[in-house]
Amino acid sequence: MAEIATETGIEIKNLSFGYTKERLFSDLDLTLRGGNIYGLLGKNGAGKTSLLKLICGLRFPDAGACSVLGWEPQARPATLLEDIYFLPEEFHTPPISAELYRQIYAPFYPRFSEEGFREYLQEFDLPPKKRLSELSYGQKKKFLLAFGLSTRCRLVLLDEPTNGLDIPSKSQFRKLLARAGEEDRIILISTHQVRDMENLIDPIIILDEGKIIFQQPMYEVTRCLHVEVQMEQPSGDGVLYSEKALGGYVVVRKNESGEETQLDLETLFNTVITNRDRIGELFVPEETSTGGAA
Amino acid sequence: MNKFSIRRLGLLLRRDFSAGYKSVFIAMAAVGGFVILVSVVSAFGRELGPVHKQMYFPLLFIGGYIVTSLTFKELHLNGQSVLYLTLPGSSLEKYLSKLVVTSAGYAFGSLFFYTAVSSAAEGINRLIFGYGHPFFNPFERFTLIAIAVYLVTQAVFLVGSVYFRKLAFIKTNLYLWLFGIVVVILVAVTGWFIFRDYAVGSRIDLEPYFQRLGDSGQLQAILGPMAEKFWQVGKGLFWGVMAPVCWVISYLRLRETEV
Repeated sequence: MAEIATETGIEIKNLSFGYTKERLFSDLDLTLRGGNIYGLLGKNGAGKTSLLKLICGLRFPDAGACSVLGWEPQARPATLLEDIYFLPEEFHTPPISAELYRQIYAPFYPRFSEEGFREYLQEFDLPPKKRLSELSYGQKKKFLLAFGLSTRCRLVLLDEPTNGLDIPSKSQFRKLLARAGEEDRIILISTHQVRDMENLIDPIIILDEGKIIFQQPMYEVTRCLHVEVQMEQPSGDGVLYSEKALGGYVVVRKNESGEETQLDLETLFNTVITNRDRIGELFVPEETSTGGAA
Repeated sequence: MNKFSIRRLGLLLRRDFSAGYKSVFIAMAAVGGFVILVSVVSAFGRELGPVHKQMYFPLLFIGGYIVTSLTFKELHLNGQSVLYLTLPGSSLEKYLSKLVVTSAGYAFGSLFFYTAVSSAAEGINRLIFGYGHPFFNPFERFTLIAIAVYLVTQAVFLVGSVYFRKLAFIKTNLYLWLFGIVVVILVAVTGWFIFRDYAVGSRIDLEPYFQRLGDSGQLQAILGPMAEKFWQVGKGLFWGVMAPVCWVISYLRLRETEV
């Protein structure tokens, strides 16, 4: 059991992992620091859920090093688990009330906030006395989110958290999560629903073909990329990405003017995926550009 | 690294109890009702044999093995396995919480429960008929030996519970049968090689061998200590090795479980 007591974030070095002989990740590197709500984006089958499972010790790497809050997650030490909350896409809620769930599970988390839990339940409009098994999928998910945020764990892993949530719940979710960000807390959200995460997740991590191909804070994205809508179909070397949209074409170029424009996550994702090499040249690796903190 | 904490072990036990107490109470009611019914009906028919001994042992062994086989069920179910494995508790604590409940917990719980239910049944018999079966004695030597045997053998079903995703009880039994068959084949093949000179067709006739040894008085001298040695080794393996080996295997398997 490797204990790296000084570490407070997540350090993954040269990690290899696969379900079959074909590697899902090979030599994957990733560094995450407290105080951020990271968004993990990737195509279907890119390995987003597997990465979350590796981080919380539900899957074991074939090679490489993975340190989470100073611990090796593979050993699943209780001290680490007290600091991790993982909400998977497929979850289980026992047939007991929210209140009984709190009584049984909250004592496992030493920093659990009873007050916070009550507030979250109220904000999500969840009945504390009703059996969890009788709630709808979205309500169950909101309950588990409320519980997870109340644990005050330093690492919160959310896999597709807005799937199944109704429109008001999505905005409640964004509000709550924005508030839940603490200085030493890492929130890592894996999602396809990028529109739900707009203005919430930052930095952005993009996983593709077994590697992290992009990890940048939004201010770097704004500094390096320029987006505009133009009537004519764009052409020329300067165009990194373009797509037809209402009223013309959305065009992404290198930001040479220094003007700040708002690039939505979907366009950013498509730009990165279709221009891996050019994007790699444009952006300085995050560790260097931010001095180790995102 | 804080691998073991009594507090967390207690929390895990409380969690398991709250998840399963309803099923336990339903099972207790069903078994209690059955025991009282059988006891009253057999007393009515004046069959006054040791009926409680006969009913307690299946409850202890079959019931205990089934409960043990189901104990790690959540480890093999989507969603539930994530909740269980990410629950703050070390693998050792999680393992011990299951072991304590299914071994000593079940053995002594069932003993206490059966003593109470059979006493109630015999009270009813004596009230209705004025007579009844002998009372169940939980401290009888044979009962205590049965409990000790259960504590050793249930460890095998604990291994099955951790390993098999579905039908752990049936699969463990099948593997035990397979194991038994393999042992019989091995013994037969070894015997064949040792005594093949005494083969008569497909059968081994050891009569001449025993006669030769008996005649010279060597039979007792050779077989006696050998049999005693085998018995001692077998007893040692059963009481001292089998359960700890199964505990280690199932603990390691739990630690290595991935989702």
